[in-house]
Amino acid sequence: MSAGSGKQGVGSGGRGKDKDAAGCGGNEEAAYAPEIMHLSLCDYPGEPAIVIFFSGCNYRCGYCQNWKIREQDRSHLTRIDRIERLLEGGRMVTACKVTGGEPLLQLGALMRIAKKAKSLGYRFGIDTNGTFPERLRAVLPMLDLVSIDVKTALNDLEYRKVTGVDNPMVDRVVESIRIALASAAFVDLRMVVIPGVNDSPEVVRSIGRDLSRMGYGEKASAGGASFTLVEFVPENAGSMEYASMRSPSVVELVTLAKAAGLSNVRVSHRALGYCVSIEKIQL
Amino acid sequence: MTEVMMNGKLPPPVRRSDGVIVPFSKDLIVKSLLKETQLVKELYNERPLTEDEARMIADEVQDEILGMRLKMLSGPLIREIVNVKLLEHGFAKQRNVYTRVGMPLYEVYKIDNSDGYESRENANLQPNPETFHKKKADFLSKESYLLMIPSHIADAHLRGDIHLHDLEYWGTRPFCQDWDLRYFFHYGLMPDGTGTHTSVAGPAKHAEVAILHAAKVLGAAQTNFAGGQGFFNFTVFMAPYLMGFDSKKLHQTAQMFLYEMTQLYVARGGQPVFSSIQIESGVPKVWQDAPVVSHGKKWPDLRYGDLEDTVHAFAVALLEEYLKGDAMGKMFNFPKPEVVQRARYWDDKAFEDVMLRAAELSAKFGSTYYDNMIPAYRGGEDGVSCFQCCAYSFSEDGKSENFQKKVMFEDGAHFSMGGMQVVTVNLPRVAYKSGGDEARLIEVLKSTMDIAKEALMLKKAVIKRQFERGLIPFASQRPRGAPPAVDIDNLSLTIGFVGMNELVQHMTGYEIHEHPSAQKLALKVLIEMDKIRKSYSEETGEKFSIARTPAESAAQRFAVADLIHYPKFARELVKGDLEKGLSLLNDTKDIPVYYSNGAHVNVAAQLPLDQRLSIEQRFFPILKGGDIFHVWLGEANPDPEALMKLNMRLAKQSWVGYWSHTKDITVCRDCGFVGGGLSSNCPTCGSSSVKNYSRITGYYQDISSWNAAKRQELKDRYRVRLS
Repeated sequence: MSAGSGKQGVGSGGRGKDKDAAGCGGNEEAAYAPEIMHLSLCDYPGEPAIVIFFSGCNYRCGYCQNWKIREQDRSHLTRIDRIERLLEGGRMVTACKVTGGEPLLQLGALMRIAKKAKSLGYRFGIDTNGTFPERLRAVLPMLDLVSIDVKTALNDLEYRKVTGVDNPMVDRVVESIRIALASAAFVDLRMVVIPGVNDSPEVVRSIGRDLSRMGYGEKASAGGASFTLVEFVPENAGSMEYASMRSPSVVELVTLAKAAGLSNVRVSHRALGYCVSIEKIQL
Repeated sequence: MTEVMMNGKLPPPVRRSDGVIVPFSKDLIVKSLLKETQLVKELYNERPLTEDEARMIADEVQDEILGMRLKMLSGPLIREIVNVKLLEHGFAKQRNVYTRVGMPLYEVYKIDNSDGYESRENANLQPNPETFHKKKADFLSKESYLLMIPSHIADAHLRGDIHLHDLEYWGTRPFCQDWDLRYFFHYGLMPDGTGTHTSVAGPAKHAEVAILHAAKVLGAAQTNFAGGQGFFNFTVFMAPYLMGFDSKKLHQTAQMFLYEMTQLYVARGGQPVFSSIQIESGVPKVWQDAPVVSHGKKWPDLRYGDLEDTVHAFAVALLEEYLKGDAMGKMFNFPKPEVVQRARYWDDKAFEDVMLRAAELSAKFGSTYYDNMIPAYRGGEDGVSCFQCCAYSFSEDGKSENFQKKVMFEDGAHFSMGGMQVVTVNLPRVAYKSGGDEARLIEVLKSTMDIAKEALMLKKAVIKRQFERGLIPFASQRPRGAPPAVDIDNLSLTIGFVGMNELVQHMTGYEIHEHPSAQKLALKVLIEMDKIRKSYSEETGEKFSIARTPAESAAQRFAVADLIHYPKFARELVKGDLEKGLSLLNDTKDIPVYYSNGAHVNVAAQLPLDQRLSIEQRFFPILKGGDIFHVWLGEANPDPEALMKLNMRLAKQSWVGYWSHTKDITVCRDCGFVGGGLSSNCPTCGSSSVKNYSRITGYYQDISSWNAAKRQELKDRYRVRLS
């Protein structure tokens, strides 16, 4: 399919770019990938996975736990053939995921890794903030999993509070969700719940309504989508402001999760030990 | 009694330790010397003092005392003066047996205040009155056994060439045991082993009683053994009592057992029994056609194979109860659940529920242990085998004598697997002594192992004598003429080792994970050790085995000993915080330095799991006495299904016989939060009243009770995910 789109890579890093021209950022020889985790048991639902961190992001979320790789730096450059060799050697894993940062900033590199992973029989997925719908469309046929952040209620006003940028481009996020939900990939919509910032029932209810309109319900009931509320962990937050906040309790997470009015809702909290469907939790 | 006057003076009266004051008597010294030095013959096969020698010593002691112008004498003081005279005359062995053992009053005081002597040697001991009593008894026992065993063995231990584990129980207890529940379901329960001090229960007829008996067996057994107590094939042997139970009743029964095992807070100085249970998801091939033994009889028409559904359902119920945790939501750290891995359990989808629960338990609390029968070296399909305690492994292959009789429970024949004693070799020291020469290395290794072997044979002789005299009564019990509960001759004599990583580092300049030459040497040394082990077995007819030692305290003790005796080399090699360790060394031996356990890769090595696996798995087939593969989970919320798939790969595609996933846990004592990670404040309520738990060598315990070296190791662990 989109081998061509990968070739448009310009290798300029795409730092803070708000254009959604497919192929922008990264190149095919190297990627800004400062960290590679050889085995993760929590990044790809149900699969032990190799996780590749791409650096660079167009958002400035205060809660971000990977804030150290928000900016791209030449020292992050990793040869893609090295990543390919790594994929060839991964005996204990069944999946590969690219996260970040924002993986779609380096579409060319992402496509190359995706192709390799698929050819080796891995399941392949990405985490994205959803601001690059056209690039998502380009890579989507190769994805088994798309995990899209839902930062808060899907409007620019609320999004500005969490993402720390003036123009969060929520229309694009909505477009990405729509595209993903229409695809064959499993779609996990993830929201990090931050007390006092996005934890009101109204916020979650409005997300629930919006997702329903976009076709979440049909896909979720066919086992193709989930909505996951994730505990905010202040210890890992990048900004001082967020580091001094508290984390939500299991009860708060589950109460909010129920307010969404969606099916296949899961919560992830340290006190639960792992990500659990809310139907399984007895409070 | 002759009172002697000298220069018109009489020695002062003597305040004796049995609570009376008596006049000084030289004859009493002579008498006691003649009596007590008889032990020299018994212990070291050398001669006691003659009467003339004893009189000469007593005369000199009296002179000495008169010269001291004391107002009051005490029994212990006279004894010390006698000891000095014995040493002056070259009677070192006689002094050994004549001396007192004990500890400075200051130390006793500190023990009662939960400080001082070995306050962190065993993290499973919580400060409480029983523990303080045990510490004092331990001190006295250890000191006396070091005097009673031949001095070259004692010296090797004290110097740190070897480590004699559980020294406080040297003369009284064998090490560990995996029990055959059928024995008690057939003959009933006598907790004291004789039925004279406790009531005698007939065989259990109800599930609840069977559960209580099982718990009490391990509790009673712990009073006779130094180490872990477990049940192999637990779910299979319990099944006859659980037939027809619905899920609720099965869960209730499972829960009852977990609470019994974690609340019988009575073992060895107030701690829970160090226990494990082997959880089979179905009925193993060996047991399919074996007759069921329960309710006091052997059933003519019922075979364990008929009970597979019950075994399966009970395995699920047990794991689900482990998953619930206790009333606070805290994990059950005992009995350690050893979930058996067989090809059938992975290939037949029906068993996926057990495998998934096991993975969920790993993801939530890290508590599951995986006992992998799939690699050929385990002999798991045709024999009986188990891991237990701190990952020691015991087995009987199907070709062994009486194997079939034991399977059929003929005339009460049953399995008795366990360990007699572990002696650990300090491998880095072997390297230092070799001067870097490989041929010399093997020689030093052999001579060090020879001392370990001698110690093990001695232990065997001592314990066998105790056993035969009925002094280990729970183990030697023979209810209604049954064979003894424990087959004392079948207990393994285990040679453990610490610091293979540092041995090869000294020899090759590389740590195990750094270079193929280092791995090659590690393997070579292990093969040599196994050859030597085999020669011991052939020569003595005993069951010798080689194992990675849990080394909760030995990994630190060897490192400290080498910093003292081989500072130049050890400073290069010990792991942990050397600078801090050295600054503390004058005040305490509890410092944050250690050697790597067994043949493990340095815990801090930044090595992908599969690379560490490819190195460490090669050691498993040789280490039949036991080894463990640790997966240190760094993530707070691992995905159980992902973890299950990793387990499947470890089970089917590796040689690892035993592994666990270690998840660090924080428990808040104010709001009850229990969750992943090591936090100093509660993530939910912010309280600082939190406890951190992690796996120390082979079991979970509160980190504040760990020794400094193990706490350092926890800090150094390279985890699957660093966050």
